[in-house]
Amino acid sequence: MSTELQVFRNCSTGLSSMTAINEGIQFCIFDLRRGQHEGQEIDKILFFSPSDCPFPTQLSVIGLCEGIITFTRIFSPGAPCEVIEAERHSHVFYEAESDIWMVVVVDKNKDAESIWRGDALRDVLKEVHSLFTMFHGSLRALLEKQPSGELARSHLYSFITDYLTEDFHVGKKIQMPSFRDCLSERKTVQMLTISREVAIEVQSLVTVIGSSCTGNTICNSMILFQDLLVSTTLSPDDTTNLFTYAVMRLTPHALTSNTNSWSYLRKGTSAPSVPANAAVSNAGSASEGYQHRSRDTSPGGQSQRYHIPRPLQRDKWSKRKDGFVVTDVWGAEVGTSIPLSPTLWLQQTEEHAYLCVYQHRNLTIILLIPVCSLINGEKGISLVKKQLLENASQKIINVEEKLSRGWGGENAYHVSGYRYLLVDRDMGISRTSPPGKVTTLTKDSLLALNKLREEVDLEKSRAKRDKPDYRKDFEVCIRARNNAWIIAKVTRGRELYMVLEKANETLLYASDAVEKFSNRYCDGAFSLD
Amino acid sequence: MLGKVSCDQPRAGLSGSGALSHVYIQHPPLRCSIPETQGLYYDDGNKLILAPTCDQVLSWNIGPSSQLDPPNSDSISEGPVLSIRYSLDKKVIGIQRSNHEIQFKNRETGETFSRRCRQDSESILGFFWTDCPSCDIIFIKTSGMDLLSYEPELNTLRLVEAKRFHVCWYAYTHESRLVLLASGMQCNIFSGYQFSSGGIIRLPKFEMTMAKAEANHKPVLAADDIHIATIYGRIYCLQLDRAGMLLNLYRFYRDAVVQQGTLPIYSSRIAVSVVDNVLLVHQVDAKVIILYDIFLDSLAPISAPLPLLLRATSSSGRQTLQADENLTATYGGTIYGESWTFLVPDLICDVNNGLLWKICLDLEAIAASSSDIPSVLDFLQRRRSQPGMIKRLCLAILRTIILERRPISMIARAIDVIVTSYSHLVKMGSALLGGESVSPVQTEHSGSQHGVNSVLASEEPTTRIVNRGKSIREESLTGAENEQQQSTAPSKPKQSSFHSVSDSEGDANMEAVGTSLGDMSLAKSSSGDLHASVAREQMRKATGEQNSDADFEQSPLQSERPEQSRTLSDPYVSNQQGSQLTSGAISPDEMYNFVFALVEDEMGGDPGYLVATMVEFLRSVSKERLKVHPKLYVMMIQLLARTNRYAELALFIRNKIIEPSKDVAFQLLELGHENLPIRKLGLDMLRQLSLHHDYVTELLQDGHYLEALRYARKYKVVTVRPSLFLEAAIANNNPLHVAAVLRFFSDFTPSFKSTSDFDRYHQILIEMS
Repeated sequence: MSTELQVFRNCSTGLSSMTAINEGIQFCIFDLRRGQHEGQEIDKILFFSPSDCPFPTQLSVIGLCEGIITFTRIFSPGAPCEVIEAERHSHVFYEAESDIWMVVVVDKNKDAESIWRGDALRDVLKEVHSLFTMFHGSLRALLEKQPSGELARSHLYSFITDYLTEDFHVGKKIQMPSFRDCLSERKTVQMLTISREVAIEVQSLVTVIGSSCTGNTICNSMILFQDLLVSTTLSPDDTTNLFTYAVMRLTPHALTSNTNSWSYLRKGTSAPSVPANAAVSNAGSASEGYQHRSRDTSPGGQSQRYHIPRPLQRDKWSKRKDGFVVTDVWGAEVGTSIPLSPTLWLQQTEEHAYLCVYQHRNLTIILLIPVCSLINGEKGISLVKKQLLENASQKIINVEEKLSRGWGGENAYHVSGYRYLLVDRDMGISRTSPPGKVTTLTKDSLLALNKLREEVDLEKSRAKRDKPDYRKDFEVCIRARNNAWIIAKVTRGRELYMVLEKANETLLYASDAVEKFSNRYCDGAFSLD
Repeated sequence: MLGKVSCDQPRAGLSGSGALSHVYIQHPPLRCSIPETQGLYYDDGNKLILAPTCDQVLSWNIGPSSQLDPPNSDSISEGPVLSIRYSLDKKVIGIQRSNHEIQFKNRETGETFSRRCRQDSESILGFFWTDCPSCDIIFIKTSGMDLLSYEPELNTLRLVEAKRFHVCWYAYTHESRLVLLASGMQCNIFSGYQFSSGGIIRLPKFEMTMAKAEANHKPVLAADDIHIATIYGRIYCLQLDRAGMLLNLYRFYRDAVVQQGTLPIYSSRIAVSVVDNVLLVHQVDAKVIILYDIFLDSLAPISAPLPLLLRATSSSGRQTLQADENLTATYGGTIYGESWTFLVPDLICDVNNGLLWKICLDLEAIAASSSDIPSVLDFLQRRRSQPGMIKRLCLAILRTIILERRPISMIARAIDVIVTSYSHLVKMGSALLGGESVSPVQTEHSGSQHGVNSVLASEEPTTRIVNRGKSIREESLTGAENEQQQSTAPSKPKQSSFHSVSDSEGDANMEAVGTSLGDMSLAKSSSGDLHASVAREQMRKATGEQNSDADFEQSPLQSERPEQSRTLSDPYVSNQQGSQLTSGAISPDEMYNFVFALVEDEMGGDPGYLVATMVEFLRSVSKERLKVHPKLYVMMIQLLARTNRYAELALFIRNKIIEPSKDVAFQLLELGHENLPIRKLGLDMLRQLSLHHDYVTELLQDGHYLEALRYARKYKVVTVRPSLFLEAAIANNNPLHVAAVLRFFSDFTPSFKSTSDFDRYHQILIEMS
């Protein structure tokens, strides 16, 4: 790794002058299988942000990344390159699909807020790619469908622009997750803890919902309460993606708030919303320009226009009187004004499914109806909806009541004295201290934890490289400023990070604190000694 | 056709028996026609059919623990007989000789005495024995009621109390202990008394309504028009209003009589029976029966009116129907003929031919007649007469509806019925246990003791009973029941039952368990039900008291033994408590063994549906705070895994829908070979259950020897062999770890150093480093 870094440092000095004009972040996606011939390099580029960046700059960024990837592949064919740490930039790599790379370049300016953690940035890349795949299918498939690449580009353009502008815009800047978010974990779901009795009721409801479809088709479903997952029948990956989307756009909280829904993770920072129309018009004009440019390289797709659903656009979902949450971003049925129902691609079943969302108070029910099970499209869906209301209404009301009664409020999972993040990698579940409580931590503590997490990430990836199926256990306790203990403990797929401020100085105190927490909230998963 | 549940694996009873009839009387009847007898009398206090001849009285005990033929006999003096009743301890026979004289005979001493009333001013309407504490016998006279007690030393009656009022006629059943005394011009004003072992309760005077036939003709109520019925331990009275062609239903509370409603009638002659708490209204002219289950307030009939069937045997399937026609031919009299009398609660006597039948419900036919499965199950679960059959029927129905993939909502309701019914039973059982009374199990034991005693004490050489029993048994029992009887016969004194064994429990259970049902409803009704509390109170007292009535109350439990032994053949049921055998209630364990386990084999595909039904089952069970067997959870896990629903499985475990247990943990570990997260769930479960040894062993299996070592130290697990740790460390090829583990065991278990293991691994360590 250290040798690699040496090489990059040399390269990046040349790059710095070019990227200085940016607002601190570049985001690109490119396909190594394209543009192999001299003069066609531009065909590699599938997405670049900011879009007004001149082509030479884009090509130089991508050229550098490709060079590094090709070079490091010599030593490590399976996992070529993860990150370039240069003096003034970090490049974070993610190979989303084979030979399709996503790279985010962030500035390391003097602004003390811009301190990142590589894995956190990579998780952003993973997240946007997963979401993209969920709605539009894989990039490779899109490229195969239309080899000119216009289809993929226009999809990516609207999708990622929406993603970045709607969910990461702070002020005029795109703000990537920083050290302040180190007590949160992307690509995991947050679960509501419920009693056995309620769990059985919920499961009973799941059965009813699942059989709303006519025939023998059992629909998958997901149930959320507030912004927390209650139940799912989907595979972990599909669950994570749909959960992420639901929290971003579908839950009552997401529907009512104009602000950044991810601010659940960083509520402290004020995030003024970008006027939606501005973003759209902006994107529209940019898109035009993009297509114009791309025509140069791919003349085939000249006159083609696609309707591209933009599921990440904000304020496009609304709750109807009958309780269903609907949107028109998927367009309308041909010749009518009836909005088409949204569809998704499910990884596990490898099929398209209609997304049908019903909301009762704080309970959000997501029903996924396999497209192939409905012959008559929208008509069939309204029939399913009717069935759902007929069969499940009473149960839904019951379950909502029970969950509300047991709901401990926003701070339900606060443990006084602790600021923690608990991740179960196997289940893809995390639980954290409430964001409002995390903001009470000092900057120093958060920086220290961010640093520690970086170390843990490194340690984990090393261990994984050495022995892919063996998970290393380790524990770190650091005494930081303000009498704080910064603790990381990793045990067989579970990770616990915590900050104890104003804590007693002995190490014994720190390990006792972990033990207590583990016994009470993790069924003793972290208490072995 | 008659799809009788007779084998071990009954087919679903849904096909039914052609719905020809819901009620039947079974051939052969008890024959009590002996040439020189002068009429038949029914002593409902002792369940005796009595036939006096010129110098003796023959008696057939038709109670559950009965010997039938030949009858007992007692010599009596010659003279007219208006009625005969044995005292409840059967020591004294009371014979009403005329309207003015009742004669008593002490059966032990043979002494007799008579009690007469004043000839000029009053006449005796009747008498009955009572178990109320203050008196033994009640005389009903036109001038009132005499409460008397029997003095055995003096062999005479002492007047305890005389109540003076005008009486036209009276109605009494021993079952209800209630006497209704009619007075007034229309005989429709009633005084009521209940003479129970708890004391005497006087009901408020009340009047029964009667429609006017014509303007100036007032109908007079006759004794025949009044039927006292005991249903679910509650006491009701049905009054026939001939002019209105209605049957008025009254319910008796301690301090009130409330009219519940009216039932339609389609015949000028009406008879009422109660079979296993089902009210049967015989429309005698129309020769059909209408059934009501008035557990809930609904007075809707259970099904359409259907005729009464005379049936040969219950188990020989198709031949039965053909036989029926022959039977009807061989039976000399007519069904619902003039000579039929209906005895309380469920007997029919053909006086002319001297035949006696017990009325039986064809539960299968009733079950098959309705498509509302949850109500059918509810109905069956309320029946107490044929617990084994009900259980099998209910299980078969449950299996069928699951196999037929009926909607989950319907299955959920059906399961609710079953689980609730079982839960009630358990609660009643524990209530009995907690109260002053004996536990259900003990009750059963004492009950059977009594049964034996009563047989031994009945002045007959035991051997004779045995012989008799045998001979009759062979005649009267058939098919499966016969086998049952034989299989259990050696273990107890042989008794024969006049009816088929499984049917005979009905009446007694009604009082034993039936009262408990009554209790439940009692708790609901605010004004205090007047109920047949007698039986229950006796249950409580009776363990010590050898009174014959207690025998009668409890011995039925003994007669359930064949039933029990039948269920014993089901290996699982044998674990059941005695209390559960008195009803068709199905425990969660049986639900697993006889529904889910069997259905799973047959279902093949669609495990999702089965899981859904199991979740509904768990919902019911958890609502009633019952437990299910871990095997059910293991099966759920397997079903979920079969369809690759691992994510849901994890959720089930996480939310404890599948409760943690060792079985479950090992099932998860087993599945975990293919799915690491699932294996981890199993491991976590072991740890949470504090199964330290297993946890350490599993950790070692995964190669986590250091973690295992730490855990072993923390929880002082010494049962796992050190060599396992050492082997794991060696497998990791880490001499440092091997040394550490070796050192640990040397310190941790002092004796380790002297074992051969120590030397061996020490040597290996030296070679490694």
